[in-house]
Amino acid sequence: MREHQVDRLTLYDRTFTSRLLLGTARYGSPRQLLDASLAAEPALLTVSLRRQLAGASGSGQPFWDLLSQTNRPILPNTAGCFTARDAITTACMARELFNTSLIKLEVIGDDANLQPDPFGLLEAATELVKLGFQVLPYCTEDWVVCKRLLDVGCQVLMPWAAPIGTGQGPRNPNAMRELRKRVPNVPLIVDAGIGLPSHACQVMEWGFDAVLVNTGVSRANDPVAMARAFAGAVTAGRRAFLGGPMIVQELAVPSTPELGRPFSIDLDVSSLCGS
Amino acid sequence: MFVIVNGCQHLVPDPHTLEELLSQLSPPIPFAVARNEEFVPVGNYHECRICPGDRIEIVHPMAGG
Repeated sequence: MREHQVDRLTLYDRTFTSRLLLGTARYGSPRQLLDASLAAEPALLTVSLRRQLAGASGSGQPFWDLLSQTNRPILPNTAGCFTARDAITTACMARELFNTSLIKLEVIGDDANLQPDPFGLLEAATELVKLGFQVLPYCTEDWVVCKRLLDVGCQVLMPWAAPIGTGQGPRNPNAMRELRKRVPNVPLIVDAGIGLPSHACQVMEWGFDAVLVNTGVSRANDPVAMARAFAGAVTAGRRAFLGGPMIVQELAVPSTPELGRPFSIDLDVSSLCGS
Repeated sequence: MFVIVNGCQHLVPDPHTLEELLSQLSPPIPFAVARNEEFVPVGNYHECRICPGDRIEIVHPMAGG
Protein backbone atom coordinates (compact mmCIF):
# COMPACT_ATOMS: atom_id res chain seq x y z
CA MET A 1 0.00 0.00 0.00
CA ARG A 2 1.24 3.45 -0.91
CA GLU A 3 1.70 6.04 1.77
CA HIS A 4 -1.08 8.30 0.51
CA GLN A 5 -3.67 5.51 0.51
CA VAL A 6 -5.73 5.39 3.68
CA ASP A 7 -6.29 1.96 5.17
CA ARG A 8 -9.76 1.91 6.70
CA LEU A 9 -11.81 -0.63 8.60
CA THR A 10 -15.30 -1.04 7.16
CA LEU A 11 -18.09 -2.48 9.32
CA TYR A 12 -21.38 -2.50 7.46
CA ASP A 13 -21.83 1.04 6.11
CA ARG A 14 -19.34 2.66 8.49
CA THR A 15 -15.62 3.21 8.08
CA PHE A 16 -13.00 3.73 10.75
CA THR A 17 -9.36 4.73 10.70
CA SER A 18 -8.58 2.75 13.88
CA ARG A 19 -8.64 -1.04 13.97
CA LEU A 20 -8.79 -1.27 17.74
CA LEU A 21 -12.05 -1.61 19.65
CA LEU A 22 -11.92 -0.88 23.36
CA GLY A 23 -14.09 -2.19 26.18
CA THR A 24 -15.15 0.16 28.96
CA ALA A 25 -15.35 -2.25 31.92
CA ARG A 26 -13.17 -2.86 34.96
CA TYR A 27 -11.15 0.36 35.00
CA GLY A 28 -9.90 1.78 38.25
CA SER A 29 -11.86 5.00 37.79
CA PRO A 30 -13.93 6.84 35.18
CA ARG A 31 -10.98 9.17 34.61
CA GLN A 32 -8.76 6.19 33.84
CA LEU A 33 -11.25 4.93 31.27
CA LEU A 34 -11.41 8.35 29.66
CA ASP A 35 -7.62 8.64 29.49
CA ALA A 36 -7.27 5.11 28.11
CA SER A 37 -9.77 5.94 25.39
CA LEU A 38 -7.95 9.13 24.51
CA ALA A 39 -4.67 7.20 24.35
CA ALA A 40 -6.03 4.35 22.20
CA GLU A 41 -8.33 6.39 19.96
CA PRO A 42 -10.40 3.25 19.28
CA ALA A 43 -12.80 2.80 16.39
CA LEU A 44 -15.57 1.87 18.81
CA LEU A 45 -16.16 1.72 22.55
CA THR A 46 -18.18 -1.23 23.78
CA VAL A 47 -20.85 -0.71 26.42
CA SER A 48 -23.64 -2.71 28.04
CA LEU A 49 -27.03 -2.32 29.67
CA ARG A 50 -27.73 -3.12 33.29
CA ARG A 51 -30.14 -2.39 36.07
CA GLN A 52 -29.19 0.69 38.07
CA LEU A 53 -26.82 -0.16 40.89
CA ALA A 54 -26.48 2.19 43.83
CA GLY A 55 -23.06 3.84 43.89
CA ALA A 56 -21.79 2.22 40.69
CA SER A 57 -19.41 4.64 38.97
CA GLY A 58 -19.54 2.92 35.60
CA SER A 59 -23.28 3.28 35.08
CA GLY A 60 -26.18 5.62 34.57
CA GLN A 61 -25.95 9.33 33.90
CA PRO A 62 -22.30 9.75 35.00
CA PHE A 63 -21.26 6.98 32.64
CA TRP A 64 -23.41 8.47 29.90
CA ASP A 65 -21.66 11.81 30.34
CA LEU A 66 -18.27 10.08 30.29
CA LEU A 67 -19.09 8.38 27.00
CA SER A 68 -19.91 11.77 25.52
CA GLN A 69 -16.51 13.07 26.61
CA THR A 70 -14.69 10.28 24.79
CA ASN A 71 -16.29 11.38 21.52
CA ARG A 72 -16.03 7.80 20.21
CA PRO A 73 -18.76 5.78 18.45
CA ILE A 74 -20.55 3.24 20.65
CA LEU A 75 -20.97 -0.50 20.17
CA PRO A 76 -23.49 -1.86 22.69
CA ASN A 77 -23.37 -5.53 23.64
CA THR A 78 -25.77 -8.14 24.94
CA ALA A 79 -23.31 -9.44 27.52
CA GLY A 80 -24.74 -11.79 30.09
CA CYS A 81 -27.61 -13.07 27.94
CA PHE A 82 -28.04 -16.82 27.98
CA THR A 83 -31.03 -17.06 25.67
CA ALA A 84 -31.82 -15.70 22.22
CA ARG A 85 -34.93 -14.00 23.58
CA ASP A 86 -33.01 -12.10 26.27
CA ALA A 87 -30.39 -11.08 23.72
CA ILE A 88 -33.01 -9.81 21.26
CA THR A 89 -34.81 -7.78 23.93
CA THR A 90 -31.52 -6.37 25.20
CA ALA A 91 -30.47 -5.45 21.66
CA CYS A 92 -33.74 -3.61 21.12
CA MET A 93 -33.30 -1.65 24.35
CA ALA A 94 -29.70 -0.86 23.39
CA ARG A 95 -30.71 0.41 19.97
CA GLU A 96 -33.14 2.87 21.51
CA LEU A 97 -30.82 3.98 24.29
CA PHE A 98 -27.63 4.40 22.25
CA ASN A 99 -29.30 5.32 18.98
CA THR A 100 -27.33 2.80 16.94
CA SER A 101 -28.26 -0.31 15.00
CA LEU A 102 -24.86 -1.84 15.65
CA ILE A 103 -24.99 -4.64 18.21
CA LYS A 104 -22.26 -6.91 19.52
CA LEU A 105 -24.34 -10.03 19.94
CA GLU A 106 -23.43 -12.28 22.83
CA VAL A 107 -25.44 -15.37 23.71
CA ILE A 108 -23.48 -17.29 26.29
CA GLY A 109 -23.77 -21.06 26.49
CA ASP A 110 -21.60 -21.88 29.46
CA ASP A 111 -21.05 -19.77 32.54
CA ALA A 112 -17.69 -21.35 33.33
CA ASN A 113 -15.79 -20.33 30.20
CA LEU A 114 -18.37 -17.89 28.80
CA GLN A 115 -18.30 -19.74 25.52
CA PRO A 116 -20.90 -18.60 22.97
CA ASP A 117 -23.99 -20.76 22.52
CA PRO A 118 -23.96 -21.37 18.74
CA PHE A 119 -27.65 -22.32 18.60
CA GLY A 120 -28.93 -19.33 20.56
CA LEU A 121 -26.50 -17.09 18.72
CA LEU A 122 -27.78 -18.15 15.33
CA GLU A 123 -31.40 -17.80 16.44
CA ALA A 124 -30.84 -14.32 17.82
CA ALA A 125 -28.76 -13.20 14.84
CA THR A 126 -31.45 -14.35 12.43
CA GLU A 127 -34.14 -12.35 14.21
CA LEU A 128 -32.01 -9.24 14.76
CA VAL A 129 -31.00 -9.05 11.10
CA LYS A 130 -34.71 -9.16 10.23
CA LEU A 131 -35.28 -6.31 12.68
CA GLY A 132 -32.70 -4.20 10.85
CA PHE A 133 -29.78 -4.58 13.21
CA GLN A 134 -26.17 -4.59 12.06
CA VAL A 135 -25.09 -7.66 13.97
CA LEU A 136 -21.54 -8.36 15.13
CA PRO A 137 -21.79 -11.85 16.64
CA TYR A 138 -19.32 -12.97 19.29
CA CYS A 139 -18.49 -16.51 18.20
CA THR A 140 -15.76 -19.11 18.23
CA GLU A 141 -13.57 -19.95 15.25
CA ASP A 142 -15.88 -22.86 14.35
CA TRP A 143 -16.24 -22.59 10.58
CA VAL A 144 -19.73 -24.06 10.27
CA VAL A 145 -21.14 -21.71 12.89
CA CYS A 146 -19.42 -18.76 11.22
CA LYS A 147 -20.79 -19.80 7.85
CA ARG A 148 -24.33 -20.04 9.23
CA LEU A 149 -24.02 -16.59 10.80
CA LEU A 150 -22.99 -15.18 7.44
CA ASP A 151 -25.82 -17.05 5.75
CA VAL A 152 -28.43 -15.33 7.93
CA GLY A 153 -27.07 -11.90 7.13
CA CYS A 154 -24.24 -11.08 9.53
CA GLN A 155 -21.61 -9.10 7.64
CA VAL A 156 -19.01 -9.09 10.41
CA LEU A 157 -17.81 -11.86 12.73
CA MET A 158 -16.14 -11.61 16.12
CA PRO A 159 -14.31 -14.88 16.80
CA TRP A 160 -12.68 -15.30 20.17
CA ALA A 161 -8.98 -15.83 20.70
CA ALA A 162 -9.58 -17.39 24.13
CA PRO A 163 -12.29 -17.21 26.79
CA ILE A 164 -13.35 -13.73 27.92
CA GLY A 165 -11.09 -12.11 30.45
CA THR A 166 -8.39 -14.80 30.41
CA GLY A 167 -5.71 -12.89 28.50
CA GLN A 168 -4.34 -16.18 27.18
CA GLY A 169 -3.96 -15.03 23.60
CA PRO A 170 -4.88 -17.18 20.57
CA ARG A 171 -5.54 -20.73 21.82
CA ASN A 172 -6.24 -22.21 18.43
CA PRO A 173 -4.05 -20.41 15.91
CA ASN A 174 -4.52 -22.93 13.11
CA ALA A 175 -8.30 -22.71 13.22
CA MET A 176 -8.18 -18.93 13.39
CA ARG A 177 -5.91 -18.69 10.37
CA GLU A 178 -8.06 -21.20 8.51
CA LEU A 179 -11.13 -19.08 9.22
CA ARG A 180 -9.30 -16.05 7.87
CA LYS A 181 -8.53 -17.91 4.65
CA ARG A 182 -12.10 -19.15 4.23
CA VAL A 183 -13.61 -15.67 4.30
CA PRO A 184 -10.94 -13.25 3.07
CA ASN A 185 -13.48 -10.49 2.45
CA VAL A 186 -15.53 -10.66 5.64
CA PRO A 187 -14.42 -8.31 8.41
CA LEU A 188 -13.17 -10.45 11.29
CA ILE A 189 -12.66 -8.81 14.68
CA VAL A 190 -10.81 -10.89 17.24
CA ASP A 191 -12.73 -10.54 20.46
CA ALA A 192 -11.92 -11.96 23.89
CA GLY A 193 -8.82 -13.52 25.32
CA ILE A 194 -6.36 -10.92 24.05
CA GLY A 195 -4.08 -10.14 26.98
CA LEU A 196 -0.98 -8.60 25.45
CA PRO A 197 -0.16 -6.21 22.63
CA SER A 198 1.86 -9.04 21.06
CA HIS A 199 -1.34 -11.13 20.87
CA ALA A 200 -3.07 -8.28 19.08
CA CYS A 201 -0.15 -7.77 16.74
CA GLN A 202 -0.03 -11.50 16.00
CA VAL A 203 -3.64 -11.82 14.90
CA MET A 204 -3.39 -8.64 12.85
CA GLU A 205 -0.33 -10.10 11.11
CA TRP A 206 -2.50 -13.10 10.25
CA GLY A 207 -4.85 -10.76 8.44
CA PHE A 208 -7.63 -10.22 10.95
CA ASP A 209 -9.28 -6.86 10.46
CA ALA A 210 -9.46 -5.56 14.01
CA VAL A 211 -9.10 -6.46 17.68
CA LEU A 212 -11.38 -5.83 20.63
CA VAL A 213 -9.65 -5.64 23.97
CA ASN A 214 -10.95 -4.76 27.42
CA THR A 215 -9.42 -6.59 30.36
CA GLY A 216 -5.96 -6.55 28.79
CA VAL A 217 -6.06 -2.78 29.09
CA SER A 218 -8.24 -2.12 32.12
CA ARG A 219 -6.48 -4.61 34.42
CA ALA A 220 -2.96 -3.60 33.44
CA ASN A 221 -0.87 -1.82 36.05
CA ASP A 222 -1.03 1.28 33.89
CA PRO A 223 -4.13 1.05 31.68
CA VAL A 224 -3.40 4.27 29.83
CA ALA A 225 0.10 3.13 28.84
CA MET A 226 -1.29 -0.27 27.89
CA ALA A 227 -4.03 1.29 25.78
CA ARG A 228 -1.37 3.18 23.85
CA ALA A 229 0.69 -0.03 23.49
CA PHE A 230 -2.30 -1.94 22.09
CA ALA A 231 -3.01 0.83 19.60
CA GLY A 232 0.58 0.65 18.39
CA ALA A 233 0.54 -3.14 18.24
CA VAL A 234 -2.63 -3.25 16.16
CA THR A 235 -1.18 -0.72 13.73
CA ALA A 236 2.11 -2.63 13.52
CA GLY A 237 0.35 -5.92 12.89
CA ARG A 238 -1.84 -4.42 10.21
CA ARG A 239 1.12 -2.85 8.45
CA ALA A 240 3.00 -6.15 8.63
CA PHE A 241 0.06 -7.96 7.05
CA LEU A 242 -0.16 -5.40 4.27
CA GLY A 243 3.60 -5.56 3.84
CA GLY A 244 3.43 -9.30 3.22
CA PRO A 245 5.61 -11.37 5.57
CA MET A 246 8.52 -13.39 4.20
CA ILE A 247 8.16 -17.11 3.69
CA VAL A 248 9.61 -19.10 6.57
CA GLN A 249 12.64 -21.21 5.53
CA GLU A 250 13.71 -24.58 6.89
CA LEU A 251 17.43 -23.81 6.62
CA ALA A 252 19.58 -20.79 7.31
CA VAL A 253 20.00 -18.33 4.47
CA PRO A 254 22.69 -15.69 4.95
CA SER A 255 21.30 -12.21 4.77
CA THR A 256 24.70 -10.61 4.10
CA PRO A 257 25.96 -11.24 0.53
CA GLU A 258 28.48 -14.09 0.26
CA LEU A 259 30.22 -12.53 -2.71
CA GLY A 260 33.33 -10.63 -1.67
CA ARG A 261 33.48 -12.04 1.85
CA PRO A 262 36.92 -11.31 3.34
CA PHE A 263 39.32 -14.25 3.64
CA SER A 264 37.17 -16.39 1.34
CA ILE A 265 38.68 -18.48 -1.40
CA ASP A 266 36.70 -17.76 -4.52
CA LEU A 267 37.07 -20.17 -7.44
CA ASP A 268 37.08 -17.26 -9.81
CA VAL A 269 39.51 -15.18 -7.77
CA SER A 270 41.72 -14.40 -10.75
CA SER A 271 38.94 -12.61 -12.62
CA LEU A 272 37.96 -10.60 -9.53
CA CYS A 273 41.57 -9.43 -9.17
CA GLY A 274 41.55 -8.20 -12.80
CA SER A 275 44.57 -10.31 -13.91
CA MET B 1 -51.00 -3.43 42.74
CA PHE B 2 -47.83 -5.42 42.91
CA VAL B 3 -45.43 -5.43 39.96
CA ILE B 4 -41.94 -6.85 39.68
CA VAL B 5 -39.40 -4.14 38.86
CA ASN B 6 -35.87 -5.29 38.16
CA GLY B 7 -36.52 -8.51 40.04
CA CYS B 8 -37.99 -6.85 43.14
CA GLN B 9 -41.66 -6.70 44.09
CA HIS B 10 -43.06 -3.15 44.18
CA LEU B 11 -46.40 -1.99 45.54
CA VAL B 12 -47.57 0.84 43.30
CA PRO B 13 -50.87 2.79 43.29
CA ASP B 14 -52.64 1.11 40.36
CA PRO B 15 -50.88 2.46 37.29
CA HIS B 16 -52.89 1.87 34.12
CA THR B 17 -50.00 2.30 31.73
CA LEU B 18 -46.27 1.96 31.68
CA GLU B 19 -46.04 5.72 31.38
CA GLU B 20 -47.86 6.12 34.71
CA LEU B 21 -45.73 3.47 36.36
CA LEU B 22 -42.52 5.14 35.23
CA SER B 23 -43.84 8.46 36.46
CA GLN B 24 -44.28 6.90 39.90
CA LEU B 25 -40.91 5.15 39.90
CA SER B 26 -38.93 8.07 38.44
CA PRO B 27 -35.91 6.04 37.30
CA PRO B 28 -32.81 8.10 36.54
CA ILE B 29 -32.35 8.88 32.87
CA PRO B 30 -31.34 7.61 30.43
CA PHE B 31 -33.10 4.25 30.52
CA ALA B 32 -34.88 1.69 28.37
CA VAL B 33 -37.69 -0.65 29.37
CA ALA B 34 -38.95 -4.17 28.79
CA ARG B 35 -42.28 -5.56 30.03
CA ASN B 36 -42.54 -9.30 30.51
CA GLU B 37 -39.30 -9.77 28.55
CA GLU B 38 -40.59 -7.73 25.59
CA PHE B 39 -39.00 -4.43 24.66
CA VAL B 40 -41.32 -1.43 24.90
CA PRO B 41 -40.29 1.53 22.71
CA VAL B 42 -40.44 4.90 24.41
CA GLY B 43 -43.23 5.97 22.07
CA ASN B 44 -45.46 3.15 23.34
CA TYR B 45 -45.24 3.82 27.07
CA HIS B 46 -48.61 5.60 27.13
CA GLU B 47 -50.49 2.68 25.57
CA CYS B 48 -48.65 -0.19 27.29
CA ARG B 49 -51.14 -1.58 29.83
CA ILE B 50 -49.79 -2.68 33.20
CA CYS B 51 -51.28 -5.70 34.95
CA PRO B 52 -50.65 -7.07 38.44
CA GLY B 53 -47.55 -9.25 38.49
CA ASP B 54 -46.04 -7.75 35.34
CA ARG B 55 -42.27 -8.00 35.19
CA ILE B 56 -40.66 -4.69 34.32
CA GLU B 57 -37.00 -4.31 33.48
CA ILE B 58 -35.50 -0.82 33.53
CA VAL B 59 -31.91 -0.70 32.28
CA HIS B 60 -29.29 2.01 31.99
CA PRO B 61 -25.97 2.45 30.19
CA MET B 62 -23.22 0.49 31.87
CA ALA B 63 -19.55 -0.21 31.23
CA GLY B 64 -19.03 -3.36 29.19
CA GLY B 65 -16.60 -5.31 27.08
